[in-house]
Amino acid sequence: MLLGLLAGGPRHGYELKRSYDEQLPRARPLAFGQVYTTLARLVRDGLVTPVGQDQAGGPERTSYAITAEGLAGLRAWLTAVEPPAPHVAGALLAKVVVALFAADAATARDYLVAQRATHAARLRELTALKADPATGLSDVIALDYAITHLDADLRWLRTTLERVATQAQEGSA
Amino acid sequence: MRPGTLVRLASVGSRADALRVALTALSATLATLAVLTAATVLAIPELAGPLAGTAANNTTYRSALLNEPGLRPGVVIALMLLTIPVLALAGQCGRLGAPARDRRLAAVRLAGATPGQTVSLTAAETGLASTPGVGIGFAAYLVGRRVLDRPNQDGRLPLPTDVLPPWPALLAIALGLPLVAALTAALVLRRVRVTPFGVVHRQRLPAPRPWPAFLIVPGVACFAVLRPLLRYAERHRLDVPEGAFIALLFAGALAALVGLLLGTGWISHVAGRVLHRVARRPAALLAGRRLIADPWASSRVFAAVLACVLFGGGAAGMRAYFATEADTRRAYDQWWTVQQGFRYTPGGDDSSLRDMDLVYAAVLVGLTIATLGLLVGLAEGIVTRRRTYAALVASGVPRGVLARSMFWQTLTPAVPAVLVALAVGVTMTWSLTIEASTGGQVGTLPGGPTAVAPELTRGVPIPFADLGLFAGGTILAIVAMTGLALLFLRPSVSTEELRTT
Amino acid sequence: MTTVLLEARGLVRSYGAVAALRGVNLAIAEGEIVAVTGPSGCGKSTLLHCLSGILRPDAGEVVYRGRRIDNLSEAERSRLRRTELGVLFQFGQLVSELSAAENVALPLLLARTSRRRARTAALSWLERLGVAEVADALPGEMSGGQRQRTALARALVTEPRVLFADEPTGALDTLAGEQMLGQLVRLATQQRTTVVLVTHDPKVAGYAHREITLRDGQIDPTGLGLAGAGLAMVDTEGVG
Repeated sequence: MLLGLLAGGPRHGYELKRSYDEQLPRARPLAFGQVYTTLARLVRDGLVTPVGQDQAGGPERTSYAITAEGLAGLRAWLTAVEPPAPHVAGALLAKVVVALFAADAATARDYLVAQRATHAARLRELTALKADPATGLSDVIALDYAITHLDADLRWLRTTLERVATQAQEGSA
Repeated sequence: MRPGTLVRLASVGSRADALRVALTALSATLATLAVLTAATVLAIPELAGPLAGTAANNTTYRSALLNEPGLRPGVVIALMLLTIPVLALAGQCGRLGAPARDRRLAAVRLAGATPGQTVSLTAAETGLASTPGVGIGFAAYLVGRRVLDRPNQDGRLPLPTDVLPPWPALLAIALGLPLVAALTAALVLRRVRVTPFGVVHRQRLPAPRPWPAFLIVPGVACFAVLRPLLRYAERHRLDVPEGAFIALLFAGALAALVGLLLGTGWISHVAGRVLHRVARRPAALLAGRRLIADPWASSRVFAAVLACVLFGGGAAGMRAYFATEADTRRAYDQWWTVQQGFRYTPGGDDSSLRDMDLVYAAVLVGLTIATLGLLVGLAEGIVTRRRTYAALVASGVPRGVLARSMFWQTLTPAVPAVLVALAVGVTMTWSLTIEASTGGQVGTLPGGPTAVAPELTRGVPIPFADLGLFAGGTILAIVAMTGLALLFLRPSVSTEELRTT
Repeated sequence: MTTVLLEARGLVRSYGAVAALRGVNLAIAEGEIVAVTGPSGCGKSTLLHCLSGILRPDAGEVVYRGRRIDNLSEAERSRLRRTELGVLFQFGQLVSELSAAENVALPLLLARTSRRRARTAALSWLERLGVAEVADALPGEMSGGQRQRTALARALVTEPRVLFADEPTGALDTLAGEQMLGQLVRLATQQRTTVVLVTHDPKVAGYAHREITLRDGQIDPTGLGLAGAGLAMVDTEGVG
């Protein structure tokens, strides 16, 4: 990710952190420490090189630029297809399965209602942000990613409930 | 598709919509009656005249139209023309798209049928639906022969109930009519596309041009040149077969009719543009736009009506001629009787006028059938747009606005078209004979001097009263049918049409 | 958002033997955007038709601004729909022979506005919805998104207090649907228009302030939209 940002031109650590936050505002926030450790690792691997220092009225800042090797690496990363998540795992899945098959009806019901309500509320919240015309493009893309996942969770929840109910009905019939 | 499958699918379809089947059967019945009557008239034996190659009048019937061999082809032509509105009605029924039917046709397409197969399916449906109608027509004809077989005192029959068309002709009618009905349906369905997702009734066509309407001019000219031609043939002693003149008149009538129908498309288009420009209220605006979008709809819907009106206009012209002729003859009679020294008492009614009444009746029957076709056509227009209408009503458009827009839409092109049709019809016959004249002969008084009868020439007046009656009646019928068609609006705007799932 | 604008009390409506609504109670506040969701056949559309006065309920009341509207005559309900309520359907609502601007102007013309002023208003609404370029096109010549936005312009041109939308994005692709919904919500918020949005799509429901789930013609407080018997069965299956 940082390589991608550096491909736009040399920057120093603080700028990198800022543009990261600007372009992916709703991703997990990036800590300063993390920026510098990552930069140090990239320099060690020869993908990034320090290009200069300035001290204009503040702490010393080192600018970094991407190397040819770094560009090649970036291109390789961009062209490599991301494998679909190999293992179906997640807290939501685990909880729903446990709720449906191990808990009593009341508990399962309360959990599912609350879970659905929370998902739906989050979906509404993110949708409102997305529909706001002030929201920038990269932000909308990130929001869309989250909304689509919430939507998938909600649909999956419904289908699961229906599936289990149908199965139970057929079993008891 | 194998014929068996076709018949099976078509009969499934025919069970589903009773209205369409009933109307198709009715039109088939009427067509059967008309064609059978024509065949019967044709079957009246030609009696050999006193001279070889000439034909003598029959004396079996009360009407000169049936007795005189020269008039019989006219009767046959008139009866055959009567089948045009009837067949148009049958074809319109094939288009009548009840919602269930549209869905069924779409489902057949979705199941893999080609567009051609759905057309043959709807044609087969029409053919099947018309079969019982043909049966009823035959039954009515056979019963009617018995019931109407009533000779008067001098043994003359009102109708040719004493002859029966030859068997092959009857068989051809029984088998041919359903086939013709099916073909008409296929023809009418030309502009309807059945897609897997529904039935699409409209394709954008180029705006109609006024020039096809000029076909009316040669049409009328065929009539106008008849008299000069006859005179020319007479003067030069040319032996022109009678059939050539009949063919000339027939071609003229056909050209005028086609020109009229093509012209109606243009009239609709222009009427739509004018209405669209001057409309202040939504009803007129909607109607104007509809006319511009599909100007051919009105010429299609009114085709049969206009044909009847054209024919009616012609008949009115003929009647005016006969009436004038009868008047002159009476005047001559009066002069003659007075000359003889008797007191003149006007004689009985005139047979040619009675015959014209028969023609009027035929025109009225045709007009009635054509009006039924109009009803079907208008209802089809409403049913086709049901989803839009339902959405409009849901968004608060009053039904009255939709109803008014229907009236605008039918009457704006219909009124000028009907007037033009009447004018063309009357001009055609009027140009045949400008005046009726008798007299000029020498009357010989028994044992006395000779006297010259006065020239009695009277111009044939334009029969404004009859024409006004025709125009008024037709327009009234159109208004009534539009009102009836609006009954289809209520079920069409049900919320069922708005359902999304 | 405190005054109740539209209220349903014990709404019952059947189609023949099929009960579509079985006692629905619902209060919608002014300016609120409410999504009505639920599985197909749960009575969503019927509820919308009853609330907007298109259908009359068999029993129960619809109260709009403190006044019962379910017992008004068809003509009065038509007038109400034309002036204070707007409706938007999935498709097929534009008059195919009228241009976009004429379609939008139609409700104003019905209200006896002059043609010139109606056209001006229609053009400004098409402009606000970003479809000014198709003002003189016929619906058949527009894209699905343009058609639906024209329909939205027509629903909003009378500045209704309540907008009823039945699967408004059902016939649109994701982006066009999103764009239209975004505009719908933004304009509704600007005008303080109350919106009742019927949908089966959680993403579309995400545009609302509140979501109501229907199940078998009744409001399902759990939001799961699943028969209560279902979970009981799950219980016997799971534990027993």
